[in-house]
Amino acid sequence: MTVTFSAPELETERLILRAPDLSDFDAFAAFYASPRASFVGGPLSRELSWRSLALEAGHWVLRGFGRWTVIEKETKATVGIVGLWHPEGFPENELGWDLFDGATGKGYATEAGRAARDYAYGTLGWTTLTSLIAVGNDGSRRVAERLGASYDRDFTHERFGDMQVWRHPGPEACG
Amino acid sequence: MSHTTIPTIETQRLVLRGPQPEDYPNFKATFASYRSRFMGGPLNPYEAWMLYAAEIGHWDIRGFGMWMIHDKDSDDTYGMAGGWQPAGWPEREIAWIIWPDKAGKGYALEATHAVRAHYYANGWDGAVSYLDPMNLDSIRLAERLGATKDKTAQTIDGSDAVYRHPSPDALDGTQLAHGIEMEIGHYADPMFKPKGWALD
Repeated sequence: MTVTFSAPELETERLILRAPDLSDFDAFAAFYASPRASFVGGPLSRELSWRSLALEAGHWVLRGFGRWTVIEKETKATVGIVGLWHPEGFPENELGWDLFDGATGKGYATEAGRAARDYAYGTLGWTTLTSLIAVGNDGSRRVAERLGASYDRDFTHERFGDMQVWRHPGPEACG
Repeated sequence: MSHTTIPTIETQRLVLRGPQPEDYPNFKATFASYRSRFMGGPLNPYEAWMLYAAEIGHWDIRGFGMWMIHDKDSDDTYGMAGGWQPAGWPEREIAWIIWPDKAGKGYALEATHAVRAHYYANGWDGAVSYLDPMNLDSIRLAERLGATKDKTAQTIDGSDAVYRHPSPDALDGTQLAHGIEMEIGHYADPMFKPKGWALD
């Protein structure tokens, strides 16, 4: 039996979005150990970070879509993980972004998020897209605003607690 | 990411294949149950789905992983068995879980014996199982597989016992190997009706 672990590579002006792999683990574990991960289930031990990396790969197999590792073209550094996400318990397909330490303030989440959204609308043919923002995660809310999304409704996640659903503009508005 | 081939393994009663999306409900039910208490559970649905995705992704990242155990005839799933080594695991582990209502038929023994043989045929020179000291069913299974407690081996976090599996040579045509195969044969024999409590 062949299981295909594949994700298409996307390119933006400053970034490459590619499939997550083991070379991302140290950056991934550092992020999940840091206070920055407090809105996404962290901080996590190295072992749980490893499982998180494994489930990024597994998400592509289970759903046919997933998140990409974001590489800064200039430095080849792994700067974050951005993409399409729908684990069990999420209300709708989500566009999510986690930027690693030192990569914020450059507009990377917006740039990568726009590429992932274009892929969802253009290649996958989705008609709508949301982002789940934890209450208090102002940095992430500002990215949603820059991407043109607007507050849609409240949502309580069984693990992450109170969150807001932000809805992105549809394919026509983004096209 | 790549094209990872997950081989299919056949045994007397079972066929082991890579975990598929449609196999998820039984996994979820087991990890929502008390059965999973020695494997980090019980989990809520979100955590169970994430773990299932990680089981699949493990194949991509390590090149080995856990198979889904199916009945050869009915294709029903009975549990999972295979190799497991997330970060923090000192050595490669042979691991297993059987759905609670499928215990007592020797499926774990049959499946783990087969996956161990597969890995030994593909370059592994040994393996361990990290077991909760209170997980008596799994300790018993490890011992039926010929594994013995290794008190000097590094544990994951100090709360687990390390059971070391016999080496490939110790399973090559030995009395131990014949004994394991005889026990599996008994379970596979429709005339065999074991008395006492259920063993995996």
